[in-house]
Amino acid sequence: MNPQSPTLKLRAGLTIGYGTPLATAPEDIVLNGGTHFLIARNGRGKTTLLRTLAKTLKQVEGAFEAEGKMQYLPEDLRFDPEITAGGIFKSLLPASRLKAANELADRVELDLHKPYGKLSTGNRRKTHLIVAEHSVKEACGNILLLDEPFSGLDAYAREIFENIWHQSTEAVLRLVSCHPDYDSMGMPSAIMIEGKGIRHTTAAGQTWSQLKHQLN
Amino acid sequence: MRLFRLTTATLFRRKSWVICAFAVGVLPFLLQQISTGTENPALLKPAIAQATWAMALLSAVFWGFYTAAKQGESNARSGVGEYFMTTGVSPTRQLFEIWLSIFTFLAPLPLIAAGVCVFAASPSMPDERSMWIATNLQYAVLYLLVMAPLVAVAAAIASRFGGICGFLTSGGLALYGLYGVGYLRYLGDLQGNPVLKWLWAFSPHYHFADPTERLRYKLGAIAWDKFPLLLAYFGGILLVYAALSRLIFRARATA
Repeated sequence: MNPQSPTLKLRAGLTIGYGTPLATAPEDIVLNGGTHFLIARNGRGKTTLLRTLAKTLKQVEGAFEAEGKMQYLPEDLRFDPEITAGGIFKSLLPASRLKAANELADRVELDLHKPYGKLSTGNRRKTHLIVAEHSVKEACGNILLLDEPFSGLDAYAREIFENIWHQSTEAVLRLVSCHPDYDSMGMPSAIMIEGKGIRHTTAAGQTWSQLKHQLN
Repeated sequence: MRLFRLTTATLFRRKSWVICAFAVGVLPFLLQQISTGTENPALLKPAIAQATWAMALLSAVFWGFYTAAKQGESNARSGVGEYFMTTGVSPTRQLFEIWLSIFTFLAPLPLIAAGVCVFAASPSMPDERSMWIATNLQYAVLYLLVMAPLVAVAAAIASRFGGICGFLTSGGLALYGLYGVGYLRYLGDLQGNPVLKWLWAFSPHYHFADPTERLRYKLGAIAWDKFPLLLAYFGGILLVYAALSRLIFRARATA
């Protein structure tokens, strides 16, 4: 394996929850570079799993290993209302990535001069995603844990981000929690929380339409 | 230093710091017009000096501590602290970067105040003038030493208990140390009451860092052999408050 390749290993017995167990991985799950989706019904533990993997929440039991530069983008992340998206990029991104970030903002029609507090939910999401994507360090493995990055995002912008992920190198591992709004969305690698179990399913042509009926 | 840059850009954009710069740099010249100084020119310069340092203190309390509390609270509750934590920025580092950002705006205030006093309110006698410069420099150093840990206290308490608690605690500590401790001494019989005596001894005696009286009555600078003792005293308070702030601070609001 490439030494720069990021890895997430959820060991069998890993149990997540806020004090009381919410879900358990019955067997080892290993994720490498690429995009992996995290799907479950509401309240089953998607955010809890992401927070556990991001190490801001302690697991109830078991262990996991994460190799790579971590970034967890909480669903409820919000910046100060006065600062502009352009100001956020200037503050958080290295100078070498600023041009690319501004170009992407232009493509997804994000107004860089508008105060963050006046941006729509979708445009705030774009800001967060651009920050996360352009904070990636090419020289090492990266792990991006994205909690509901598509909520509020229009189909046009979502497609652009999905394309970026498809073209991305193996140096980035993305675990994306979402509730897709179209059945044909491809999910070749998906972590599913079904009832109390966490399992990993992979298949080249796997779509949301095939997986959603398995959720309970 | 990404959180420092983000906080600094936010504060700069918010522009409320302009009020502090105006209060310290301009307002003393306007306030003298409505003071008794207009009837007695000899009082003009002391009035400017007193007003300038009073504005610097008020700016620290009402802008500095309020801003620190606001930033501490929003860092914990907006997910920004959690985001930075996952990228490897520890809570200690986050508190430091927030503190440094606010202090970047606060630090020029005593320098502006000292500048106003030296250039606009300096006595004409050469001996008095050199003493005046020394007093103002001492004042600036003590101001920074006293305000620095209180900014951290405001941010830390706000991150855990909310912005109002952070602001009131740091503001209350500053006002108590500046004025309350003195009243405590006069109100109670310190020698006869061990609790009051203990309370007085462990109170932050910020009034030692307030040489307004020295400026107003031209009492001269704090003796240079005593000044290091004051630095050590307020340095000690700084260390205690810094440690407490770190213990209280949290980067994420919910467990």
